[in-house]
Amino acid sequence: MYGGGNTFEATKFDNLAEEDPIKLDEFEARIARGEKIEPMDWMPALYRKQLIRMIEQHAHSEIIGALPEGTWITRAPGFKRKLALMAKVQDEVGHAQLLYSAAETLGKSREQMMQDLINGKSKYSNIFNYPAFTWADSAIISWLVDAGAIVNQLANSKGSYGPYCRALERICAEESFHLKYGHHAVIHLATGSKIQKDMVQDALNRWWPPMMHFFGPPDRVSVHTEVLTKWKVKMASNDEMRQQFLDMYVPKIWELGLKVPDPNLRKNEETRQWEYTEPDWEEFKRVINGDGPCNKERLAVRRTAEERGRWVRQAILVPKAKYVTPLA
Amino acid sequence: MKSLDPRITRWQVDESNRESLEKEHLDQLVTYEVFLQMKEGKAYEHVGIVHASDLDMAFLFAKEQYSRRYTCTGMWVVATEMVTVTEFTDLEENVYDSISTMAAEGNELQSYEVFHLTKRGKQHKHVGQVKAASPEHAQSEAKKHFDDGRPVLNVWVAPSNEFLFSKEEDKVIWSTLHEKTHRDVISYKAADKIKAFKERSQHG
Repeated sequence: MYGGGNTFEATKFDNLAEEDPIKLDEFEARIARGEKIEPMDWMPALYRKQLIRMIEQHAHSEIIGALPEGTWITRAPGFKRKLALMAKVQDEVGHAQLLYSAAETLGKSREQMMQDLINGKSKYSNIFNYPAFTWADSAIISWLVDAGAIVNQLANSKGSYGPYCRALERICAEESFHLKYGHHAVIHLATGSKIQKDMVQDALNRWWPPMMHFFGPPDRVSVHTEVLTKWKVKMASNDEMRQQFLDMYVPKIWELGLKVPDPNLRKNEETRQWEYTEPDWEEFKRVINGDGPCNKERLAVRRTAEERGRWVRQAILVPKAKYVTPLA
Repeated sequence: MKSLDPRITRWQVDESNRESLEKEHLDQLVTYEVFLQMKEGKAYEHVGIVHASDLDMAFLFAKEQYSRRYTCTGMWVVATEMVTVTEFTDLEENVYDSISTMAAEGNELQSYEVFHLTKRGKQHKHVGQVKAASPEHAQSEAKKHFDDGRPVLNVWVAPSNEFLFSKEEDKVIWSTLHEKTHRDVISYKAADKIKAFKERSQHG
């Protein structure tokens, strides 16, 4: 599970003036009653657009996110770890399939989504533009990145769009072992020899800054998402999710004798909020716009797989095949 | 290109190839709807779609996608284009109220599978079969046989001969999970290791 830190476009409220006010009222009332929206229902163009964007970003994150961990399958320490990592990476790619399917019900074809990913038009979770240098990096990804994604996904699974919620429920159910496996692998290193301890501490030091970026920019500078919150597209604010993640995982990191590489990190007992050094949001912007350590190679691997598989897809295509938008 | 990813060197990925990629229509094939039976005697329930070129491939992908982690007792697949869908009703309205009864026209009767959606946010469930001359006639026959007055929000019908049904004698294909304990949470016990570590740290 890899989704997180969705980037939303600034919402143009004047777009809503073009929507049928009666239908818009019915749509909003349905969401307010806690009912799900289904593919055949009327929905505002803005709702459709932002949902496609969000679900598609999530799907791309699953597929690109499998790459840094996937490189460690062949070098996993031992048969058990290799089996587990293979199963985990397979799950993540399966999650991408589920999410692409959910986005397709909104009318964007899978061809178009993959094309937009490879051509750099769509985004994916920024954290996968960083390299996994050692086995410990892979363990930290399985534990903390998945943990961060779970915070995000559990919130989103209570959203308003039926097909996305159902995909997320399935994903969350499949996910249960990833986090445990990642934690187990990190515990093994953190309670092991000096070399193992140093290796996992180094990996934590590398992944902490991207992990703080993971939930997106702070609320005070984020684009207006009130209407998306009202429509239950965005279910929790970036800062809320970041605080929740810190609450759940900083104590678990500390109990293993590891140090979080931020001297200012502490919980303010009065405000009940975590305080931390402000992450470098300029770096976040730079990397998300293509200039990170691994952006080029991630897309190059994806693109090569795409090109090398093309003849197979063409060979098996039935000439009279007819595409119909999936039903639910 | 220099990378930690062994695929980059193995595939000799050429970074200079930057022309934008154009995927043709149907490059990702067409979609098939997948239905699972989670326990013996339970109704088959819609779980989602797969992209595939034909029924056999759809079945293979669906088995991997939808029964890999939590097994089932049966699976059906059918091409999305073979499914005829009614209107989607609101709240407590019964979609069958808007379906008129019709008589069979000339055509030979064939069997259709019928699926109901009874709650928003849930998935369609199989309710049974009807014999009909057309999808519209199948909807009308479904109204005759399966409308008990309780609200049904949406009905799917699809010709039975367009499905690939898993076979009774192939049941063994669903019982492969017991040897894959590395996918179970229970295989990753952490509490004892953390406790032992804390004790060691205190005494050391």
